[in-house]
Amino acid sequence: MITVNGRNVDWESGLTVAGLIKKMNYIFPQIFVTINGDLIKKDDYDTTPVSDGDAVEIIHMIAGG
Amino acid sequence: MKYVKCHPDKCGYKLVCMATCAKKVQKSDDPALANIVITKKDDGTIDMNVCNQCGQCIDVCPTGALYRNKPGVVRINKDICVGCYTCVGFCPTGSMRTHESRTVPFKCISCGNCVKACPNKALAHEEGEFEPSYFEKGEPGEPGETFPKEYF
Amino acid sequence: MPTAKELQAMKSKHNVLATFSYDKPKVDKGYANQTLYVNIESNEIKSKPVTQDMKDKFIGGRGFDLWLLWHAVNDDTRWDSPENEICIATGPIGGTTQYPGTGKSLVTTISPTTEQVIDSNVGGYFGPLLKFSGWDALEIQGKATEEIIIVIDGEESTVTIETAPEEPVDTHILSEILTDMYAEDEDDRRNVSVVSAGRGAEHALIGCLNFSLWDVRRGGIRVKQAGRGGIGSVFRNKKLKALVVRQPGVSGDSNNPADLNVIQKTGVKMHREICTEDHRQERMRTTGTPHLIEVMNAYDLLPVHNFQYGKHDDTPKITSDVWFKLFTQGIPDGCWYGCSMACAKTVENFELRTGPYKGEIVRVDGPEYETAAGVGSNCGIFDPAAILELNFYCDTYGVDTISWGTTVAFLMECYERGIINKEHTGGLELKFGNREASLELLHQVARGEGFGLIAGQGIRRIKKIFADKFGADINFLNDIGMENKGLEYSQYVSKESLAQQGGYALTNKGPQHDEAWLIFMDMVNNQIPTFEDKAEALHYFPLWRTWFGLNGLCKLPWNDVTPADNPETDEPNKVPEHVDNYVKLFNGVTGMNITREEIILQSKRVYDFQRVFNIRLGKGLRKFDAQPYRAAGPVTKEEYESRAERYDGQLKELVGFDPEGKSTEEKLAALRVYKEDQYEKLMDSVYKRRGWTENAVPKIETLKEIGIDYPEIVEVVKRHL
Repeated sequence: MITVNGRNVDWESGLTVAGLIKKMNYIFPQIFVTINGDLIKKDDYDTTPVSDGDAVEIIHMIAGG
Repeated sequence: MKYVKCHPDKCGYKLVCMATCAKKVQKSDDPALANIVITKKDDGTIDMNVCNQCGQCIDVCPTGALYRNKPGVVRINKDICVGCYTCVGFCPTGSMRTHESRTVPFKCISCGNCVKACPNKALAHEEGEFEPSYFEKGEPGEPGETFPKEYF
Repeated sequence: MPTAKELQAMKSKHNVLATFSYDKPKVDKGYANQTLYVNIESNEIKSKPVTQDMKDKFIGGRGFDLWLLWHAVNDDTRWDSPENEICIATGPIGGTTQYPGTGKSLVTTISPTTEQVIDSNVGGYFGPLLKFSGWDALEIQGKATEEIIIVIDGEESTVTIETAPEEPVDTHILSEILTDMYAEDEDDRRNVSVVSAGRGAEHALIGCLNFSLWDVRRGGIRVKQAGRGGIGSVFRNKKLKALVVRQPGVSGDSNNPADLNVIQKTGVKMHREICTEDHRQERMRTTGTPHLIEVMNAYDLLPVHNFQYGKHDDTPKITSDVWFKLFTQGIPDGCWYGCSMACAKTVENFELRTGPYKGEIVRVDGPEYETAAGVGSNCGIFDPAAILELNFYCDTYGVDTISWGTTVAFLMECYERGIINKEHTGGLELKFGNREASLELLHQVARGEGFGLIAGQGIRRIKKIFADKFGADINFLNDIGMENKGLEYSQYVSKESLAQQGGYALTNKGPQHDEAWLIFMDMVNNQIPTFEDKAEALHYFPLWRTWFGLNGLCKLPWNDVTPADNPETDEPNKVPEHVDNYVKLFNGVTGMNITREEIILQSKRVYDFQRVFNIRLGKGLRKFDAQPYRAAGPVTKEEYESRAERYDGQLKELVGFDPEGKSTEEKLAALRVYKEDQYEKLMDSVYKRRGWTENAVPKIETLKEIGIDYPEIVEVVKRHL
């Protein structure tokens, strides 16, 4: 189990940031991702693993408009 | 179309080109008004920046002030330009210039004065060809191409 | 298009009723320092000074509009009272050419559908050209007895009221005719902007205004819409056919800014950012706002079938890849100079299939996301050609596409549920997806006949007609009719975001997303979980966004593109670098020295003033912030069952109600009690944060704190304390 934006999400082995974004169907382009507080670069989404127990934030940068 | 080609390896960083351009083209003693910019980078190498007349700025201009003249040089019609500076931000080589004393941008007009003045032959006036920009290919929105039937 | 001779013949029928010559001031630090008053009943035209207090407290744009309107009307003024005004203003930054999104006009009036103050933010060249003609704002009062136009010529320094008996009313013809008529020559057309409505605005209460610009690159007229709240209906009710402004010579220093250098530098930096970032972010330059169609569908937020659902299998037929192909590409599509975001897209060479202009080849301005979702998905119409046809006719008839979409979606649901039938609709089969029916109904509005006369009145009045005359259940209509304060909802499903429910309904003008769009922050990011968090967001964002309207700005360049390093900033959702850009722009133009925090204070004054204005008109209190239940949760069984897993989960986790073995009706009822209670709690929190009473009245100490405790304002508030 991991959390995404504070909510429980099932974890599976081999999960990457890119895979998680796809699984969540987060297609909005203006997002950024942190894992346990560390910012992940866009170029590294495909290769960065998400481990069981991670707290992931996938923040959509449109607010108030 | 003739454009100014730069050879930074030959540049002696005397900035004669900038002074010449400011004086002859901009009628000013302030080299910050030159259409060509020579800078020394941190590693000591020289960067020479001047418009290559590619014409991409023509497409982003909302007023039609940017155009290519008969010899092929990209020019600005100052009477039409409203000084929006979109061309400055969108220039692929960063060669569209601004100055606080001006309300419109300025750029190389490929006159060749800097080429003649350069003591090191670091500048050359060369023939070049570029893909015509969108507007140079023809005005959009003219009758001829109708709304695709597949949507009806 | 008429020939030059025909134009001359038309113009020769104009009878000049009043001429006013003025000394044109040089715009100084963003202000012309005078406003123009035109009374089309008495034909009085005069100049009013802009006081320092006006500038300090109300800044410009919507602030000036509201201040002028406040003094023009009385407590009982209605939308069609002679003293009601239409006020138009840009703001101090308005007309800046170097930065994207700086050419907006703000329009206010007392609305026919909300019966309180409405404000609308619109592109096109009118506002900036009005200012450069010497006027920070224009207020139009009175009702003409014959068809008239107002012409403001900044070069001649004259204002005239002229009869215009022969010009057609519909925008796509009228704006072109008047541009040609008042431009000195072809090159001068870029210096003319026309405001017009259309035939639809004569018979409907959801009329809009079209603000034109001459598109040099396309060689034709473009129009942008002040859509919300029926301003076009007020315009036609006054027998105003058009407003024309002409002002040659726009340049980079027309605003005569205090510090041109900082404006140029900030502008270039922003253009560069759009150049490098837009194509990998929202692609506004190539697909405009419709890029949101697929995004909203993916997050279950795209309104489908009158906001019952948030996605649909047919959505791919109207997503941005489709619009990308239909929009003309590679053209600087700004609605004012220097807008490199260029989202004002068009479709060229569109052949109309219905209505009075059937067979004509036209340019369609749009669609915007709101239009595509409103007249499209929300009505079950997943057909680009139909969306374009509806878009075109709404515009040229002067009908707001958002209100039209939401209203027709409501009518379609009423039809499908048997609340109305063909006897009521005059034979129209108003089923979801019936594009012909939506178009025919729109043509009926323009002709002023049939069911169109009801449809054009907007949802609030329609509900009453259906209940009073057709025996419909008013409670059910109130649940599914997507209006608040009489304004139709714009096109986002707010069911899963409590903060957005507030963003829509705890507003001044009604449910328009331009106050606060908090769905991602709340529902997806989970960044504002508590009531206090939501209240803070509903304090900050509406005020932040109000500021655009004070200055003549567009919201889009603020956060529809962001700097590459924005994620690393302390508050990415506010886009700190862009906030700094706006501080620089304001200070650069006005010569003042405000901070980020003062932006919020400037807005707070106008925002709370507008709330008091509504209270003065008998609205504005807590009860008027109530929302239709469909904005918060499932009204019908089908809605519940379409998301049964989600709602069952909510009942279990949030409500403490075990859904096991319960009927859908029981579950609906339990969820409703919970959601309605949540909304009441949200109201309490938000009003508290805003410094208002529980009844949504700004407290006197709040008014004192922000410096708008004028006796006339305090007096209104006192009645409710």
